[in-house]
Formats: sequence, C-alpha cells, structure tokens
Amino acid sequence: MASSDAEGLSIPIDDYETLLSTTDVELLKRAWRNEKAAPDILRFETDLIGRIREQIQLMEETAEEKSAAGVDPLSLSLYQMDLDRAQFLLRSYLRIRIQKIEKFVFHIAKTEELWNKLSREEKNFARRCTEDLKQHLEDSVLSKLPENYQSFQKQSVISEEDDMIPEAQLDTFVVCRSKEYLTGIQLEDGPVDDRSMLFEMEPGVLYFICYKSIKALVESGKIDLL
Amino acid sequence: MYGRKACQLVKELASGEKGQLTPFNSDLFEQVVAECTQHHLELQALIRKMQEEGLDVQTTRNAEHHGALIRHLSLVRNKRCLMAYVYNRAETIQSFLWKIGHVLPQEIEEKLCHLEVEYFKKHSAALKSYMSKMQLDLTVDMVPPKDPYIQVRVLDDIGDGIVLSDDKTANFARHSMHFLKRTDAEQFISRGLMEELTG
Repeated sequence: MASSDAEGLSIPIDDYETLLSTTDVELLKRAWRNEKAAPDILRFETDLIGRIREQIQLMEETAEEKSAAGVDPLSLSLYQMDLDRAQFLLRSYLRIRIQKIEKFVFHIAKTEELWNKLSREEKNFARRCTEDLKQHLEDSVLSKLPENYQSFQKQSVISEEDDMIPEAQLDTFVVCRSKEYLTGIQLEDGPVDDRSMLFEMEPGVLYFICYKSIKALVESGKIDLL
Repeated sequence: MYGRKACQLVKELASGEKGQLTPFNSDLFEQVVAECTQHHLELQALIRKMQEEGLDVQTTRNAEHHGALIRHLSLVRNKRCLMAYVYNRAETIQSFLWKIGHVLPQEIEEKLCHLEVEYFKKHSAALKSYMSKMQLDLTVDMVPPKDPYIQVRVLDDIGDGIVLSDDKTANFARHSMHFLKRTDAEQFISRGLMEELTG
C-alpha cells in the first residue's frame, strides 16, 4: 500500500506501479482470485494474511489520526476506500475458504493432503462442522436405518470404500495464465491417446483447461487462475 | 413399487426453488424409513433360509440370493435418497447463515424439522466461534465496495439508539434517510429493513 504523508499522496507514477505489483495487497488479490476460481481448497497463506492484518490495523489507526487531524475529506475518503478494498479482499478470501470447507467438510477431514492446507482456526471450524453434520445425519436418518447401513461414509458394510462422501469436482474447466514458459503439462482429460501428448503454455496467454491438469502448477504459484 | 416414495422425497427437493426449502415432509420420510426396515427383515429372512439349507451365502446364486440382493439394493437406494434429502436441506440451511444471518425468521423456521433447527444453531455457533477467533465478521462486505458510505432509506421502524461501528448512535425511524458506512447498513439491508438509494 502506498505510503502518504499529511499533505497527500506524492509518489511519482512509475515508482507507484512498481511498488503496487509487489505489494502484499497484490499478493492478496492474486491469492483471492486463485481461491475463487479453484474448485478445490488451496494452501492457506499464513504469512501473507498475518502481514495483511497488521497493515490493515495500521491503516485503520492512520485513518483515525488523519480524520482527527482534519485532513481534507477527499484524501481521507481515498484512504478509506483503499482500506475498505483491502478489508473486502481479506474477508472474501477467508469467506470463500470457509464456504469450501462447509461444502466438502467430510472429504477435507479425511484427506491429509487437504487437511494440511487449512489454517489452525479453520481446522477447529472444520472439526466442529464435521461433528455437527455427522450428528445431524445420524440423528435424522442413520439411527433409524438397520444396523449394517448406519455409516455416513459408506453405503453399507459391504462397500469397499467410502462411497458417500461428496468431493470437489476437479475436472471443471478454468481460465488460467502462466507467467513463464511452461512445458510438459499432461492433459488429464480427452481421449486416452491424447493424454500421452504433452502440452505447453506460453507466458501471458489465456488458456481454458481442465483444472486437474494444472493443479500442481497452481499450487506452486507458476500459474494464476482468473 | 420399491423406491417410489424415496423418489418422491427427492423430487420434492428438486422441485423447490434453489435456496428455498419446502416444509420437512416427516410423513413421507417415516414411510421410507419403514420401507427400509421391511427390506431388512426380508433380507435377513432370506439369508437365514439359505443358511438353513446349508448353502454358502457368499457364492450361491439361487432365488433367495437374488431376492436378498434386490432387497439390499433397494435398501441402499432408499438410504441414498434419505441422505440426499437431509444433506441437501442441511446445505441450504448453511446458506441461510450467510444470506440471512444468525436468527431465522418465523416463516423459515416453520419449514424446518426440530433436528434441523438444532443443526442451524450449532452451525451458527461454529461460525461465530471462528469469526471471533479471527476477529472479523465475515458476513458483511459481501459485495466489492464502490463507496465506503451509502445512502439508505429505512423501510421498517428499527428504533433509535442503535449503536454504529464508529460508536455514534442513530435513530432509524421509518422513511428516514441516512448516510451510513456500508458495513453498518448491510445487515439491515439483507433483512429487508433498509434499502440502498442508488443514483
């Protein structure tokens, strides 16, 4: 976020843009966009969120000081809007994640890879969510069914795997863009013969591709979702 | 016909408007559960018969086996329908928390069965606990902010002495207009007590 002194914003445009592209707000915007577009839950950005919260706190305090110091309303409202936008991004990021957890709580709870992507507070929320939902299903349906059919994870005792748990659809298509030249992407869908073909991505070009094929690259930060 | 009632339950779910609930159909629900119990009794009877005849239950393919298989599959299908009914309603109930808030209006509460009301309360508590640990209210700021302050008109008498986020008190009498912070007004707008004045 651009710093400003009591007289108002006074940073030359070039420096402002460079500053903007590496700021935490840009990183938050990027994490937010990825999280919004991905069908699956991504890794929680602990450090980034920690820094953003500190910065928002600082901005709120500065806004109060400015308002008390009688800074002109225009600068103040620009400052306030910047603050609001950052707060919106933060709230939306957390909200999207919580809603994904709500939707796929059983699957996330039993898949270690997904569980480790949650923050500590999200894990607590997920634990409570699992308990509540499980209890609700048991009380409404499962306790009334005959013995071998009472599991909320399996259809019956005969099922070999947990066939009643909803999972995120990883083969939805997403729009994405890469920052660098990437080769060796294997397509996960389409006719089996095509799958052995390796696909490449040029930087800055938009692609519409099956999420499963690029999941690892999104997680490592090489591809952005839009 | 096996499974017809369960199918009806699911159809009821599908025919409702998205995000809305029909009243919990406990009659039909209980009937499907009764059908399951019936299937199970028959299933056990058939298996017992096979055991009495000294046949290997796992591998024998006779009339009893097929009968038992049909019973089992019908039971499992009924289970799936019942679970789908309860689970989808639970998902809609979760969405109420975000759209309406932590207190359900009377017309919605009437449509829920007693267990669902309990579930809503528990889920609401879980969410509140998370939000308080994060020290952020996630149910406001649902739309990207264009202006930090918006003009609103009060539609229903909310009362006076309402404390806003900047510790000022306001008197929200019907038809009065105010210039409020977006995050303060949102909770009233979503409950239909205020409307935003655009333009």
